[in-house]
Amino acid sequence: MLPIFSHILFVLALSPLLLGVIGKTKAFFAGRWGPPLLQPWYDIAKLFRKGVVYSTTTSWVFKLTPVVVMATALASCIFVPWGSIAPPVYFWGDALLFIYLYGLMRFFLIIGALDTGSSFEGMGASREAAFSCLSEIVLFMDFILLVMVSKSLVLCNMLNTGFFSSWLSMGPVLVLVAVSFFLVMLVENSRIPIDDPNTHLELTMIHEVMVLDHSGYDLGLILWGSYIKLFVLGSVLVSLFVPAHLSPLTGVTFFLCGMGVLGITIGVVESVMARLRLNRVPHLLIGAFVLATLGFIVILLKGA
Amino acid sequence: MWLDISLIVIILSGIVLLGSSRIGTIIQLFAFQSLVLSSIPLQVDRAGLNWHVLTIAFGTLIVKVFVMPNFLFWAIRHVRLRREAPTILGYGKTMLLGGILVGMAFYISSKLTLPDRYFSRLFIPAAFSIFAIGLLLLVSRVKAITQVIGYLVMENGIFLFSMLLLDKTPFLIEMGILLDIFVAVLVMSIVINNITEDYEDTNTLNLTTLRD
Repeated sequence: MLPIFSHILFVLALSPLLLGVIGKTKAFFAGRWGPPLLQPWYDIAKLFRKGVVYSTTTSWVFKLTPVVVMATALASCIFVPWGSIAPPVYFWGDALLFIYLYGLMRFFLIIGALDTGSSFEGMGASREAAFSCLSEIVLFMDFILLVMVSKSLVLCNMLNTGFFSSWLSMGPVLVLVAVSFFLVMLVENSRIPIDDPNTHLELTMIHEVMVLDHSGYDLGLILWGSYIKLFVLGSVLVSLFVPAHLSPLTGVTFFLCGMGVLGITIGVVESVMARLRLNRVPHLLIGAFVLATLGFIVILLKGA
Repeated sequence: MWLDISLIVIILSGIVLLGSSRIGTIIQLFAFQSLVLSSIPLQVDRAGLNWHVLTIAFGTLIVKVFVMPNFLFWAIRHVRLRREAPTILGYGKTMLLGGILVGMAFYISSKLTLPDRYFSRLFIPAAFSIFAIGLLLLVSRVKAITQVIGYLVMENGIFLFSMLLLDKTPFLIEMGILLDIFVAVLVMSIVINNITEDYEDTNTLNLTTLRD
């Protein structure tokens, strides 16, 4: 039990920091000093001190949603390695469970939004459902590519073992996986250029519109859950670049530096790009899908 | 390893090219693709660096990464053009078609037995793919300037193919090719300007309508 708890504590503590790094990078680009690095932490602490207001039209589904979001986010993080620290739980096929945990999270966010009976939130739910159909295909394609490269269905083996050697032979495939996974990660976490996490007023938003009716610690749980989702999906991407067989300390340092670079990259992308028009988002996902398919062709050519 | 990754980055930039609509972005993507391309001669050369390889690499770098993109930027400033008109197929379908063409390029080159040596198994598929992507860009877009870029991307594919014969190609021919494209871009830019003057738009579909 102890490794599981330490793994969960690690992600609970560090996931808001990633958002802090993104915020600082964006502030740097805008020429501002920006909120402190720990601002996402302060936000969560503030929300947890507040009470909750429930609309009279909502049912138990609405109250269950934040709990499920947090639970699935935490459950998904125990399958992911941090640098050279192996995950506490792994079994044959846990990569599929990993993907479907996020499916469960999304399902509850969507029915939670529909439960409020607000047409505005229903619109957000329909968008989330439409885009996740496309992004899930790309996510599966990427995981299939990783399975073919590593010949294992265990997530931590797919990400970690011997990747320094597989970059030599499978470099092109891994570049394609990294690029298309980065795009999927932006879509899954509703970042720019798909959705602007800062706006609360526009009709084009996706994720934020679904959680408009949540308040207090419910909102805190959902926010924290989405921070963890970004952190965990980001760590999947970063793990591709962490060489295997490092000592624990070097591995974790390498991993944390990688997460920092990832945060800065997302911040740069958000600063230099505008949000895409809603009808252009599928094009981005089609592009990611084509890249993943190309990786497939390259693997067939190389005869993995 | 680096050669393989460079080749895949070249194909990747081609696919992104198919999905982008801003002409400024398209020109920058072409410049980026050419930048990676100009490093290929240095990577395939086994005999060590000689002046032949270096001149080809630097010639490509100067002409395709600096001169031509600047020239194209000058042209779009001149005709005040920022966005591509809606394509004939739509961006999503064009990208999917691009993916299919790349797949076909890989299939064809797996059937093809070329007598000369290979640097990498991705080399010929990449050349074919870039060629097909350039062709697709050329036929699916309607603005004259994007068609010029499609032509240039196609030429990048031919350049990649000619890398296989790097040490057998006389230097003069390489320079002749570079001069050739340079003149072609020059002429096309002037044509674009003339289309704009006559029709107030660079949409090539206008060329089919009759006027006095």
